[in-house]
Amino acid sequence: MAKALPAREPRRVSRSLLLTLPIAVWSLLMFSGWFRHPNRSQQIAGSATVAFMVVLFFMMMRTWSTYRWRRWFFVALGLLFPVGFIHNVMAVRGTMGIPIEEMIAGRTPFCFIPIPLLILPAAFFKTLVFPGSILPKGGMSGGGMAAMAGIWLAITIVVGKGWCSYACFFGGIEEGMASVPAKAKLRKIDPRWRYGPWAVLLAMALLSLALFEPAYCMWLCPFKAVSEYIAARNTVGMVQNGIFIILFAGLVIALPLLTKKRTQCAFFCPFGAFQSIFNKTSVFDVKIDRTRCTPCVLCQKSCPTMSLTEESIAKGETLMSCMKCGACVDACPKDAIAWHIRGTEVAVKPERARLMFLYAAWAMAVMFGGSIIAQGLATILHVFV
Amino acid sequence: MLDFAIMAAVLVFSEPLVLGLASGPACVASCGPVMVPSMLAERAGLRLNMRYLSVFLATRLVGYLLFAAVAWELGALAAIPSSARSLIFAVIHVLLACVLLRYAYTVGRACSHSCEGLRLVTIGGARNHRVPGAAVLGFLTGVSLCPPFVVAGVRAAETASMAAAVLFFAVFFLGTSVWFVPFAGLGWVRRNEAVTTVARMAMVLIAVYYFYAGVMTLIGKNVYG
Amino acid sequence: MRKLTAKLGYTGAGLTVFAAVLAPFLLYGVFTKGFSSLGLHVDEVYSGGPKVRTVQAASYTIDIHRQVSPHLFQSEKPFVQLDWKPVSSLPPHVSELVDIEGDGKPDVHVSFDVPKDPKAPLRVNVEPLNPRYEAMQNVGKDKFSALIVRVDDAILVRIPLAR
Repeated sequence: MAKALPAREPRRVSRSLLLTLPIAVWSLLMFSGWFRHPNRSQQIAGSATVAFMVVLFFMMMRTWSTYRWRRWFFVALGLLFPVGFIHNVMAVRGTMGIPIEEMIAGRTPFCFIPIPLLILPAAFFKTLVFPGSILPKGGMSGGGMAAMAGIWLAITIVVGKGWCSYACFFGGIEEGMASVPAKAKLRKIDPRWRYGPWAVLLAMALLSLALFEPAYCMWLCPFKAVSEYIAARNTVGMVQNGIFIILFAGLVIALPLLTKKRTQCAFFCPFGAFQSIFNKTSVFDVKIDRTRCTPCVLCQKSCPTMSLTEESIAKGETLMSCMKCGACVDACPKDAIAWHIRGTEVAVKPERARLMFLYAAWAMAVMFGGSIIAQGLATILHVFV
Repeated sequence: MLDFAIMAAVLVFSEPLVLGLASGPACVASCGPVMVPSMLAERAGLRLNMRYLSVFLATRLVGYLLFAAVAWELGALAAIPSSARSLIFAVIHVLLACVLLRYAYTVGRACSHSCEGLRLVTIGGARNHRVPGAAVLGFLTGVSLCPPFVVAGVRAAETASMAAAVLFFAVFFLGTSVWFVPFAGLGWVRRNEAVTTVARMAMVLIAVYYFYAGVMTLIGKNVYG
Repeated sequence: MRKLTAKLGYTGAGLTVFAAVLAPFLLYGVFTKGFSSLGLHVDEVYSGGPKVRTVQAASYTIDIHRQVSPHLFQSEKPFVQLDWKPVSSLPPHVSELVDIEGDGKPDVHVSFDVPKDPKAPLRVNVEPLNPRYEAMQNVGKDKFSALIVRVDDAILVRIPLAR
């Protein structure tokens, strides 16, 4: 067993508060509308969310660790998104099933997962094969496809595949499930399953072009269980709905409980594979200082997506599937893994890289995930207030 | 005389060529799910992948010409009732699914990047009875009666002779094939365990979909919701 | 060289933080406009295609859309969409001859009931007078290419074309 460094002294409170100040100001700015809302539950939800995000960031500064505090945010996002979304859907439509009228009216809310599937039909035929609308059209259309594409682009430019740790409103469910057991019951996982998301991306992108529909959404997305699905009009619809229920139960609930890994994200999600491409363009990455690494492979065991292998550790880097969640950084007993800015030397001022990354990532998390958390909270509070 | 010949050739060839060029994206989209993963599963190298593409397109042409002859004999592809066309389509889908699964299995056992030469992955039974997977897949996509193919078939059947129908289809095919040429560039993609595994897994997923679509049509159910 | 790449790296990181701060303010303006200018459109099998003509009836209008042709392996048939609006001005039973092609001759005879309850299911009968169009008997909303639905203050009927 590698000898760990002595536990680091927490950062001074005054310094931690100073470092948290920009995030506190940013959060107050982003939620200023919530404080002025006439509805009391919205006011409380907004305040609670600001406090939540600021406290978590403060703890990240104070304790020098990222993963366990980020995980609180991410699990809250995963649990509260369905609360707010399903409530909205029921209030507007009275059902989680999308009726054909809503699809014709272009009021299907646009999720980020179909983005890679729409690219080929858009490139070949200038057609968006999704029953939504480019601009807002009322009802459940939200900000429209353009706005969601904009959110995606902004967050992807900032954090690359860190989307999967700071923005995805589905991943927190698995992260929560994976955190429940103390030990994994299934420890041996064939590393070739890591290629699953790429295979799903390739197959679904080609089928989407051939069938002119978002094939993953129609057939394979497990998260229809916690958002909405196409109302089954016939046997095929029932088959489609059966598939997503089975996939949700297996990939999002059961396998994370058994393996302590984010199995849907690591072995299935085509959007995650697509985001991996942007890890190559992202300014921030995670590097290993090989002079300090022993290697004890605790990082490899802690990674929820198997993005560290013996070869990659020897090279001093993670695989391109790295979600920048910080689990490996926090798990390393020798402080050998750290956030890194491209072009700079490895292990030189790692805390500076971490701070710059966290300011960018947390700013996006407050703007996007924070508003989703607040909406979910407001939905619950509305019952009581 | 030469001018007249050129004008005649332009008149004869322009319609099927333009139809083929216009239908090309549709052909690429319909053949893509079969062709792209199977090309990625082959070894890297521009020459090898061009060989794959040539075999795929050549057998696709054989499939086209076979139906051109059948279409002309029957008077039109439209003379085949749509229920029969759906059944043919369904059977081909099931066959495509079986071939894709066999191909995915075989690629895992075939020589990969450590082998030399331009040998394509072969499928089949005994050693002497194996054919390149590219040939089988190309032929099956060629006879799969995709919509642009049906449009060309209807037009070809209106020609004066079987030879004219076959010529029409051949030129149409040429027009669609222009769109396939860039796929030879897949030869530049580095092949390693990751790429081959992804390609094989994708073939399995696509095979499952084709099998489902074929079986649902055969039992008379809706394929789509 | 090392110093230069490090400087570039830190500059990139700084710009990234700046982009994170700027994003919410640009999202709904600049980006949305940019995306809209790409010339993309939602698949017409969903949207029904652009409106080409409006026929004025007594107290309501009938919008006639351009024919929609499905794509590749889409199982839908080609269809044309007709919109009756506003629903509040429609009689309890609509029975209408519609000239879809604008040549002065009626192409289809469309009939449906207009229930008072907006959530009540709709059924339509279409009798083709032009062989280009398919007959529809007591059709609801099973397929995108043959249906009757109420969307906001309009009743939409989609009539498939005979192949």
